[in-house]
Amino acid sequence: MKKSLALLPLIIPAGLVCSSCQPVQAWERGTLAKPEMAIDADPMETTLNTHIFFSKEASNGGHNAAGGGCGCN
Amino acid sequence: MKSRSLIALTTSALALPGITSTANADSPPTESSFGYRVSTYEEDNLPEEFLFLGDPERYDITIHQFQLVTPVGENYGLTLSSSYESMSGASPWYALPVFEGEKSIVMSGATIHEQRRDYNLSLRRYQDNGNYAFSIGTSRENDYYSWSGGFDIARNFNNDLATIAGGVSVSNDDINPTDAALFNRVTDESKRTSSAFVSVSQIIDQNSLFQSSLNMTRHKGFLTDPYKLGDTRPDSRTQWAWSNAYRRFVNSLDAALHLDVRFYNDDFGVNSLTLNAAWYQNLGDNWQITPSIRYYSQSAADFFTPVNDFSLYGVPNSSDYRLASYGAVSGGLQVQTFIDDMSLVFKIERYVTDADYSIHNGQSSPALVNFTRMSLGVSYTF
Repeated sequence: MKKSLALLPLIIPAGLVCSSCQPVQAWERGTLAKPEMAIDADPMETTLNTHIFFSKEASNGGHNAAGGGCGCN
Repeated sequence: MKSRSLIALTTSALALPGITSTANADSPPTESSFGYRVSTYEEDNLPEEFLFLGDPERYDITIHQFQLVTPVGENYGLTLSSSYESMSGASPWYALPVFEGEKSIVMSGATIHEQRRDYNLSLRRYQDNGNYAFSIGTSRENDYYSWSGGFDIARNFNNDLATIAGGVSVSNDDINPTDAALFNRVTDESKRTSSAFVSVSQIIDQNSLFQSSLNMTRHKGFLTDPYKLGDTRPDSRTQWAWSNAYRRFVNSLDAALHLDVRFYNDDFGVNSLTLNAAWYQNLGDNWQITPSIRYYSQSAADFFTPVNDFSLYGVPNSSDYRLASYGAVSGGLQVQTFIDDMSLVFKIERYVTDADYSIHNGQSSPALVNFTRMSLGVSYTF
């Protein structure tokens, strides 16, 4: 029960978004396929930014990570 | 053969240690590409008004990044990435009770010079209804060694309009501080990290999509910063991050809007909010300009103290500014041009912190860091 509750943050927004979803055929996804429409449009930039914020802020997660930990301070 | 989804819906896998950057598309790369980027990261000096002792010049870091993405057979994509950093400068060592006005911060006396190298390898298998990948990586400094490994999988549903993804990763860090005998530091410590995520992605219409992901990361072992005097932290930490991303293309302006929000909580007592917005503006076929803005706010850790209390030896306490309550605003501007099979990119970003920017509770620190970062990169497809 507890595990399913933990997934509510995913299920609720997905449900809200889906309520306004439209059927999009494969041949209608040209715009969605543009590089600037990717969730991560620039992996090298994301890697660097994630590494900096991982080193300088108390929070992490939800973005790209540059491998494992580091002694960066 | 059922067509593969065209868009990137699996990049939340990148949130985990051990899961490295991979190709965006949910189909194997058809060409190889190589990217190189050099960046300079410069922290502002600690203001003299807060400096009690030591060198006020904080870190300057130069970062070289390399990335190779190449197809392997018909259904696999291989990503090799590496970075090399050289850093110099001083960092806050400890904080004294306010003395001579507001001077309280003692910086590390001698300038630190250090290098870090990391290598990451990811092999992704693409299938009709999704993909999965194995990843490994290492990061090495003269006093720190980390290895990591991970696995992630994504499956498409509902005529490839929705994707559910998940993954796990582990990493191990070994810490061997320098000058251990001189400063009574630990000599040989380690920590283990395990992490898992699930994500849901959905195409909303022909021009927009949404992704929501939940990450859990657990650290066990030595979590104290050995280079800070009087720093003691709990030996375990569990972190939760709930991230949401929205992408919308505006056809009339030939531009893409990126909106991201992240809610974070851990058992150190840190809560945070992160907001990101970016506008990818195409200018003709060969140029793209991208302004971006980020807001970040965090609460202080339960055991954060603005000044060191050395009577708390062995009890969790830290004056590390990264565990203080503060807010940060950063703005960036990126310019990219595309010339045949090559692209050039330049980015500048400024990051400014202030206790007053925070929407969270807790005490702050005078040692908050501001920095400027510039990057210049090239990529080539062949």
